Amino acid sequence: MRSELKGKIAQREAVLNRVIELLISRLRLERSSNELDPDTPLFGSGLCLDSVDAVEIVVVLEAEFGIWLDEDEDEGMFALRTVNSLVDAVLSQKEGELDNRN
Amino acid sequence: MRCLQLTGAQTFDALDAVCPCDIFLRDGQMKHTLLLDEEGIPFADIYVCREGEDAYLLGYGPSAAEIADWITGHATDSSDFSIIDLNKSHQSLALDGPYAWELCAEVFGPDVLGLPYLGMRTLGEVLVFRAGRTGEYGYHLLVPTGQKNAWREKLLATGTAFAMACASEAARAQCVLENSFFDVNREGRYGLTPLELQLQWRLSPQKTAYPGAEAIRTLRQSGWTHRLTCFIAPDFASPDEEITCNGETVGCILAAGYSPLRGEYVGKALLRRPYWHAGLDVFRVGCRPLKTISAPAINNLSLKITPYRHSFHTRAEDLS
Repeated sequence: MRSELKGKIAQREAVLNRVIELLISRLRLERSSNELDPDTPLFGSGLCLDSVDAVEIVVVLEAEFGIWLDEDEDEGMFALRTVNSLVDAVLSQKEGELDNRN
Repeated sequence: MRCLQLTGAQTFDALDAVCPCDIFLRDGQMKHTLLLDEEGIPFADIYVCREGEDAYLLGYGPSAAEIADWITGHATDSSDFSIIDLNKSHQSLALDGPYAWELCAEVFGPDVLGLPYLGMRTLGEVLVFRAGRTGEYGYHLLVPTGQKNAWREKLLATGTAFAMACASEAARAQCVLENSFFDVNREGRYGLTPLELQLQWRLSPQKTAYPGAEAIRTLRQSGWTHRLTCFIAPDFASPDEEITCNGETVGCILAAGYSPLRGEYVGKALLRRPYWHAGLDVFRVGCRPLKTISAPAINNLSLKITPYRHSFHTRAEDLS
């Protein structure tokens, strides 16, 4: 596997694992990390989270990754759909920051 | 869609014995789960619903008779519950769309508006289940067979004010795919467990006794090597095509279809570790590019619609 791809996969895995850890610990989910799939829906079905949990997720992602999700804006709303969409949001905001710095 | 009614004192004991999730349901609550075979492979995609001491089971996959036989065969004590095949006395209608709630309320009354997602209620002789697989507000309506045409006509007549249209099964299947709902007749054909299908949320981690539990436990301990991942492809993609990365085969397509909304193909691929992540724009199907994405492939209008704030009739201002 090419090193660039290896790096990209490693970065995604690291963020995914951390997001899963945070969801389990902060929302007190009774699941271990290998019982939580990346495409698990957060609200409605899936983890059946509620609006209080949504606020907690926004707060914890800001504290951990320094990113901000506005639930009232489309981007924030869509980011809160699944575990993987949270990872997308973290990675895209981080990439945006890097682009701005460069 | 199959619909069964379970009645009798041991109804929930029977369901608890066969379902991989906890069956603690409030009155009128539904739960989305699976029925697994002994290898832990889903053979039915089901909703379990509670109404009083009875349960309703909505299912996709096998016939109602097969589901009923399977439950009876696996229940620890089948002496004190019975299963009624409602497909013999009822027919189903499905209403899906960002304003389905508003049309439903006009036809069935305002009580429908209070129905939460994964909730059910009996309105007269009509059973209303708020669940859908299109990603929009969805209602399954189970009506007595003799009343089906009358209800259908009433919905169509009232629906003209909501730009309602009849959708084909193919169109509904495409919505199911775009929204990454599990289709037991599509990706369910490949003998994969909920771990590979990313459906572990349909299982309760604390529950240890159900058909297939041992297989799931064993696979969790040993680890699984492949996972279903959503993809987009600007050019053609079709089931069973091989996926490569830098010339190496890393997986194959299990489901694919053209998404008019995205203007490209969307689908589900079975990819091996570590290629199974979303957000990788490195794959090829033949010489055509393919990119993995987070599910679902589209963001539905219903995400932006709230019944107490919006209306079909003021949609232009609401969404501006």
